[in-house]
Amino acid sequence: MTALDTPVVVPARRATVRRAREGGLSGPLFVSGYVVLLLAFGVLPTLYAVYLAFTNVRGQFTGLNQFLRVIQDYRFWPAFGNILVYLVFWLLLIVVLTVGVAIVLRSRMPAPVSAALRFLYYIPGALAGVASVLVWLFMLDPSVSPVNWLLNSLGLTTFAEVLAPGHLSLIFALIAFWTGAGGWIVVMYGALNNIPQEVLEAARMDGAGPWRMALHIQIPMIRKWIVYMVILAFAAGTQLFVEPQLLQTASLGRVSPTWSPNQLAYSYAFQHGDFNGAAAISLVLLVIGLAGAGLLVTRSGLFKVDES
Amino acid sequence: MKRVVGLTLVSLVLLVLLVFFVLPALWLLLAPTKMAADLASESPLSFGSFANIGVAWQHLTSFQDGVLFVWLRNSAVYAVGALIVTLITSIPAGYALALTKFRGRKLLLTVTLIVMIMPSAALVLPVFLELNLVHLIGTAWSIILPFSFYPFGVYLVYIYFATSLPRELLSAARLDGATEWQIFTRIALPLATPVVGLVAFFSFVGNWNNFFLPYLVLPNSDGFPIQVGLNQLLSSTPSFNPVAGAGLNITSPELALAIIIAVLPVLVLFLFSQRTLVSGMLAGATKE
Amino acid sequence: MKSSQRRLVHALTAVFATGVLAGACASADPNAASETTAASFTPQPQDANAKITVWTDSTRLPSVQAYQKANPNVPMDIVTYDGSADGSTYLQTKVQLFDRTGSGWPDAVFASPTDVTWASQPTSPSAQAFAAPVDEGLVPADTLKNFATGSLAPCQYNGHTYCERNDIAQVVLWYNKSLLDQFGYQVPTTWEEYQALGDKVAKEHPGYLVGAIGDTNSHESYFWSAQCPAQQLTDAKTLRSDLRDPHCTKMSGLLDDLIKAGSVSKQGFFGQGFAKDYGSKVLMAYGPSWYGQYLFNSAFKTPAGQIAAAAPLKWQGESQTFTGNVGGGVWMVSSHSKNLKAAAALTTWLTTSDDNLKAAPTYPAYSPGAKAWLANPANKDYFAADVSGPFQQAANEVWTGWGNTKFSDATAWSSIVLPAVTAGRTLTETLPAWQSEIASEAKSVGYTVTTK
Repeated sequence: MTALDTPVVVPARRATVRRAREGGLSGPLFVSGYVVLLLAFGVLPTLYAVYLAFTNVRGQFTGLNQFLRVIQDYRFWPAFGNILVYLVFWLLLIVVLTVGVAIVLRSRMPAPVSAALRFLYYIPGALAGVASVLVWLFMLDPSVSPVNWLLNSLGLTTFAEVLAPGHLSLIFALIAFWTGAGGWIVVMYGALNNIPQEVLEAARMDGAGPWRMALHIQIPMIRKWIVYMVILAFAAGTQLFVEPQLLQTASLGRVSPTWSPNQLAYSYAFQHGDFNGAAAISLVLLVIGLAGAGLLVTRSGLFKVDES
Repeated sequence: MKRVVGLTLVSLVLLVLLVFFVLPALWLLLAPTKMAADLASESPLSFGSFANIGVAWQHLTSFQDGVLFVWLRNSAVYAVGALIVTLITSIPAGYALALTKFRGRKLLLTVTLIVMIMPSAALVLPVFLELNLVHLIGTAWSIILPFSFYPFGVYLVYIYFATSLPRELLSAARLDGATEWQIFTRIALPLATPVVGLVAFFSFVGNWNNFFLPYLVLPNSDGFPIQVGLNQLLSSTPSFNPVAGAGLNITSPELALAIIIAVLPVLVLFLFSQRTLVSGMLAGATKE
Repeated sequence: MKSSQRRLVHALTAVFATGVLAGACASADPNAASETTAASFTPQPQDANAKITVWTDSTRLPSVQAYQKANPNVPMDIVTYDGSADGSTYLQTKVQLFDRTGSGWPDAVFASPTDVTWASQPTSPSAQAFAAPVDEGLVPADTLKNFATGSLAPCQYNGHTYCERNDIAQVVLWYNKSLLDQFGYQVPTTWEEYQALGDKVAKEHPGYLVGAIGDTNSHESYFWSAQCPAQQLTDAKTLRSDLRDPHCTKMSGLLDDLIKAGSVSKQGFFGQGFAKDYGSKVLMAYGPSWYGQYLFNSAFKTPAGQIAAAAPLKWQGESQTFTGNVGGGVWMVSSHSKNLKAAAALTTWLTTSDDNLKAAPTYPAYSPGAKAWLANPANKDYFAADVSGPFQQAANEVWTGWGNTKFSDATAWSSIVLPAVTAGRTLTETLPAWQSEIASEAKSVGYTVTTK
């Protein structure tokens, strides 16, 4: 796969490139299919949610009152507190370990070992959603768990003790990492492969060790991918729903049904029939997610076309 | 010396991670070989017998007259259908976002990102109302179309093209008189095989595993995909729902077997596509 | 980069600006919902040949299929779902969506009693309550009269009956007769005797258990039976929660004492490891009628001929015995059905016919059906003594002061009380936190809460 090795780069023509309008009308045409889907399943629903958040069930305009109301809900702050702790664990795990592992696999492991490990790490990726929660129900129950010695040595002898409220954030972060990391390792590995060999060779000539190489060459060069992963991981983290929801129904109810904000929104919508309140909570989540993403995007220049 | 310590440490971390990732899966693989009671009483990683797998298989396939196969077929229809539409829409879109300039390009990227961050709980009601408006509720399209909207894929393609395809290549082709469509199909697409594979793979896996949308949108259990079916199995398992399970033989080993069956397509797919997925990304080795 | 930054900032500012402006204007009450009186029930135009859609859980599926087989001329579409088990809100979610689109409702549905609290009222001002009042010409009053005392209480709202109770789960005292005889103990009849026996077991036979409180529904076995007003509906909109009531503190004190002594477990009977570690050491269990088959027979694999049931316990000095209820399902008919007659015929057959009930998986709420169920040897063979007496007595002693509320009573117990107890606090210490959680939950779904 080195189709691009034939050098076609013609720097002298840079000026003419600008004049060629880079694609003309084809751009809008190429994105049109996607734009239709985006409007139908992204933009319109979001606008409708915004409408809901600022009105009541009779369609009367309520200003910020829906927001004030949900913020005063006794479950609001605990849910956001839970998700905050969860996000810290989850982002730390996903960023440090996926990037770290990908670099190690790329530069310090023989190819067959690296391929085998990537596959093995990926296996849980197939077990997302319902399946992962079911498996972890067993993993965390000291009476059937293959790591019950580990749980016991931590002083946890019953399932109920494992599910103590203080442990839940970490547990969900572990489940999310278990299912999500493999896929990202694959993506990061691919991104690392994209770094030209000459760059690495040059650095090695300069006497850079594996650490310096990783910190000064490899990580900066896959920055776009890392930023992208963080944005998605952050957004997915704020939207945590399926795992606590299933663990709640299948774990003797030890997990609150409104453990995460998304669950709270769901409960508003479908248990209280209060779609307006649910939309308000979702918008709060959206604003938090946007603030995070906005910060990352502007800091990293993710949207820039001319990346070198 | 320092190198050796470093390498040992690194290997140790990889090993711990390996156990972390593989052990639960290994347990899952062994669970159907045992009887429900053995799961608690015998060593967690022991092997029961092949006969038990057969028993679990029989129980599982006789659950509601083999509804398991209906669920699997539904999942396949939804995931593959959505995959096709996703590829048709997201590959050109990502390409255009990365390599052409047009009004609203950044707006499109921004909006895509905003929508990706929007919590699904808020979107599901509007989506449901829309689908109802166009009379798609109860049809396979009510799942395929929302699944086909795959901003993640568009971003993957966008980043891939933005980082791996030299713009000069395109402008050279333009100067040689190639049409935009020719540039896309003859230059960009052949180079995009790896990212097409990546998008296809992630889209398929994501849709195969999606629980929330079908759970809410499908009115009829005949249309459930396997993930929603698993949830129904769970609520028919005495260990999780003591009152249920009269006359049903769904216990933990059957559940474990169902999970294995549910994830098998994804694992097989990964096994066969991993080479293309990763090695393919070696492309684009030339950058300025 | 600059422009995308600006764009985002603009977007955010716009959102906030709209909000602030909006807040400044006089705006309508965000809570205009829920004030909906029980709307009168307007049936759809009826069509005696219209297909009826039936939603059932896997456990009741064979019964529905049997009906279809016996009545092949009734056009039916049978759909399975989770049956609202384990606090699932699937049915409620779907009905919310169907109310929005104006179509899709099932005609008859198996559900939990909690579902009736929302199904008997409209989900929004423009919607019609999902459940049809079955006492308005769908089910004869004579039939409704025959359900066990109080078993239709969860179905009733504003003077109408919105469901037919499928089964009840009256709480009785389960005991291992062989062990009890072997140890030379008497079956207790009052809570005081139970406590004394529990203390004695702890001393004389440490390791044996007279109860466990760690299940999601243990509070229904103990605190409901104790007549603790944890969630009493004084009227449709007012909830009384007073966990300082002596009935509550007596029960929490009793359990704390036995937990400390070691004869009541903090774990749940249905935990994965419980059967392995303690299954053979359960001397007594205070719990619902289905414990016999589902706990002792299926989960603990206790051999036949050992387990027996006794009538519920009462407090010393009180004349009347009350007991709790743990689960049990209901059948509802949709008010949107185009074939109410066929739907009601089905639900009535399922809940009242001997043919169906004699082999039902759990104890039927319909008294004549319960007799048929008890007459069926398959339902009794397993036990060491005839359970008919205690079952029938308990069925009519279920305390009606434990309200069937719009929120699930299991949430506060499992997510607040149980973790605290697991962490080492006593039940008595945890009562205030439990009460405040119930009060918060109740307020969030629109109840007025009193704590007196």
